[in-house]
Formats: sequence, C-alpha cells, structure tokens
Amino acid sequence: MFNKETKKYLGIVRQIAITDFKLKYEGSVLGYLWSLVKPMMLFSILYFVFTQFFKIGNAVPHYPVYLLLGIVMWTFFVEITSMCLGSIVGKGQLIRKVYFPRAILIFANSMTAFLTFSLNLFVVVLFMLFMGVVPTFQGVLLFLLVLVEFSFLVLGLALFLSSLFVKFRDLTHIWEVVLQFMFYATPMIYPLSIVPLKIAKILMLSPLAQIIQDARFALITPQAQTAWQVLGIKYFWIPYTLPFVAFIVGVFVFQKTADKFAEEV
Amino acid sequence: MDNTVVNIQNVSKTFKIPHERYSTLKQHALNLFNKNRTYTELNALKNVNFEIKKGEFFGIIGRNGCGKSTLLKIIAKIYSTTTGKVTVDGQISPFIELGVGFNPELTARDNVYLNGALLGLSKKEIDEKFDDIIKFAELEDFVDQRLKNFSSGMQVRLGFSLAIKAYSDILLLDEVLAVGDANFQKKCINVFKELKRQKKTIIFVSHDETNIRRFCDRVALLEQGELVMIGTPQEGLKKYNEILAAAQKWLKAHGEA
Repeated sequence: MFNKETKKYLGIVRQIAITDFKLKYEGSVLGYLWSLVKPMMLFSILYFVFTQFFKIGNAVPHYPVYLLLGIVMWTFFVEITSMCLGSIVGKGQLIRKVYFPRAILIFANSMTAFLTFSLNLFVVVLFMLFMGVVPTFQGVLLFLLVLVEFSFLVLGLALFLSSLFVKFRDLTHIWEVVLQFMFYATPMIYPLSIVPLKIAKILMLSPLAQIIQDARFALITPQAQTAWQVLGIKYFWIPYTLPFVAFIVGVFVFQKTADKFAEEV
Repeated sequence: MDNTVVNIQNVSKTFKIPHERYSTLKQHALNLFNKNRTYTELNALKNVNFEIKKGEFFGIIGRNGCGKSTLLKIIAKIYSTTTGKVTVDGQISPFIELGVGFNPELTARDNVYLNGALLGLSKKEIDEKFDDIIKFAELEDFVDQRLKNFSSGMQVRLGFSLAIKAYSDILLLDEVLAVGDANFQKKCINVFKELKRQKKTIIFVSHDETNIRRFCDRVALLEQGELVMIGTPQEGLKKYNEILAAAQKWLKAHGEA
C-alpha cells in the first residue's frame, strides 16, 4: 500500500515526533503526566466555580462529565494549534539545510497532541463509567464521525497558521487573543441553554462549538443542544462545512508558501 | 542508456531583498497603502547549465558568494529555482552540510536515529548500521553522551560517518574536510577512494586544491552566479586562480588590500 517514499516520510514523522517528545519532557514520565493533569486541574476549578458559585451546572444532567469532555476537547484544540503554529519556524535550522516535505513537521508536531488527547479521552471514559453514563452504540459512532471532522479542522488550522507564522511573527500574540476569545465564545464551560437564543445562534456557527456540543450529545446526554437544533435547517450546514473549508484553505496556503520556507524562515 | 544523473537546465535564482523588512502583521497592515516598497534583486545564479554523469566525482569551485551553496541547495531541492529546472535521477542525499539535523540536547544515539530518518533510512536499517556508524566516527565511548558535550570535530565525524553509511546514489558534500584531525582526514580520503571505485556520484564543494586535484573528474567554476567553465580540475583551478589574482589586483588598485 505504501511506496518507498511514503514509508521514508513516515519514518521522519516518527523520529521527529519521538525527538520532540523526548526534548519536551526530558524523558521523564512525570513530565508528560503534567500535560494529562492540566485539563483535570482546569476541570476541578471550573467545576467548583460553576456548581458552587454560579449554580448553572446543576441544570445539566451529568454536568461533571459534560464539562470534562468539553475541557478535554478544548485543551486539545489549544495545544495542537499553538504547537503547530511555531513548528515551521522552530525547525528553521533544519529547513534551511535539509530537504523533506515540509508538511512532515506539522504531522510530527500533531502527534504528541493527538496522543495526549487520546489518553485524556480515556480518562473521560473512566469518568463516564464511574458516573454511570453509558452511551449508545450509535452515539459512539456519531462521536467518531465528529472526531474526524475535528481532525480536519485542527489540521487545516495548523497548516494555515504555521505557514503564515513564517511571514507574520506577531501571529502568536494574535492567536493567543483569538483563543482567549474562543474560550468564552464557545459553550464549553457553561451550558448553551443559559444563553439567549439570538446569541446562541451566533455561537453555534463556530465549528468548535458545534463539535463540542455534538460530542456531548453523542456520548453524554441528548439534552445537549446541537447545531441543527439551534440553527435550524437553514443554517445548520455552516459549522459542518467550515472544518473542510479550513482544511482546503490550509493545504492550499501551505503548498503555495512551502517552496519559500527555506529562504524566509 | 543516458547516464546523466543531475541535469541543470537554464537555472537562475533571484533573491528579492526588501529594503525594509516587515515581519509582523502589524507592519504589513500599517504599510498596506505604501506602494513603493523597494527591493534589491540579488541574482545568485544566472542561467547555469550543465550535466553531471553517473559515477562522476564532480567539483564545484569559486570564490565566496559566487553561488556554490545556492546551487547545491537547488540541487538538493531546498530552494526552488526562479527560472529553469533541475532534474535528478536517483536518490539524492537531502543534506548539504554534515550533521545539520543534529540536536545538541540529544545523545549521539538519538541523533543518529533522527538524522538517519532524514537521510531516508528505516529504523531497521539504522539498527543494522548503528555500530558501523559509531565505529567509523570513533565515538564508541560517547554513544549516550549528549551532543552538546562533543567537540566540533567529533560532531563532524559523526555527521560524515552517517552520510557515508546512509549512502544515497548522489552525495552532496560541502567543505567536509575542513574539520577533523589528520587521522580522520586520512580515513575520509580512503572513503572517497572507495566511493570512486564503486562509481558513486559525488558533488563536492571545496576550496582545498589538493583534494580537488586528487578526486574530481571534472569541475565547474562559478563566478558571480555565472558558470565560467567546466573542465578538468587543472584547467578549472588555473582559471580560478586567475580570477582570484584579478580580484586581488582590483582590491590593491583601490587601496583596500
């Protein structure tokens, strides 16, 4: 199935991923554990705030798992986009001196984030079992489809941001602000039901909001409002289309600029 | 059978060097309406044409800044051409410098695996060649030391050893013999002889006249981005020295030597 070239490039993806992992965590298991613990800590704080002070959480069935799943998906989104953003510039030394398809760096950098995400999802599953939340078979299937859509979104953004960062070195700050905005604009910590419908309609146009709500709908509770419920037949296709648009634009921009990375980085 | 392995056709490379460099979105936004951004065009290579045959030991010589490295980078596909094209038949080593992918924070072992992958080796192939690579580089006692504790000579030895053992059909070597002690240089020279015997194609960039004379079958002489001549090492070096002498003379005449 794979020809020699593809095999060779997969080998490079693997070695770069392993190397970066080693460098980041200095080969210590505890170092890596931190990135698993991070979403759990964020979860504890938000859970405390939203059940004790704001008391919003109580309206949603299985609010803890509901919240945790949202946080895990959000953390993955933040991690993979921020990590990939600098992946071309960070390997400038290599790019200037060695030839390989530049997209390799994006895939290698995504691998750690995907690994962390899967382990975190495993924790979510344990949590679900503990709370007695059992999804249906169709629910799991739907969730897997949502993950495919999610992958298109994050990889598209990763390709787009990393190639733009070569030219615009203030993109890190801009992206940080965008993320901060999205943290509040995504119905992740609060249930969508507390937002006025008019605003909810706008929020659900974001594919990230749609993905998180669909995942909750599929795995946790049919009460989680999904994009098609909020937006109706007329607009519900927008958030579902955007990830694929992002992917196509990302690939296009990356290919257009990749030739010049060695000169500009 | 046509035995051309590298075919360089009408290759030109122009770098656009903006007088003001904008590197942020803010600067770009502020200068959106500023239409008269000016560039200096640097013609690093001007319409270069030549072919390298299979099994040749091909030298590229010229003064600093004549376009040698740019040409090597274009052959290795690191740079794109502005006009013209390069066709390569066979596996070419993607490196133009030894040990560029080395990471100082990693051990020699990890670096060999990382660089081996970049050179196109599978994990299994590296497993098989690992001891050979370390032995040739004479680093048996330092395998699990971090590279940042290595001397520059040791790093080059490791890089060269990898490049030789991970052999591609076409090897690009840029100033490899400049570092390393006499013993190691002798070993490299033996390897070169061996490679020549095996009829491998090597593109060799160097300032070292002795080694160019000793190994190269043909040389290309570049001057200010133009191909001056292709010929035997004797002819090439003779012309090269003439150019050097002329440059000296010019400098002297202008009182800067």
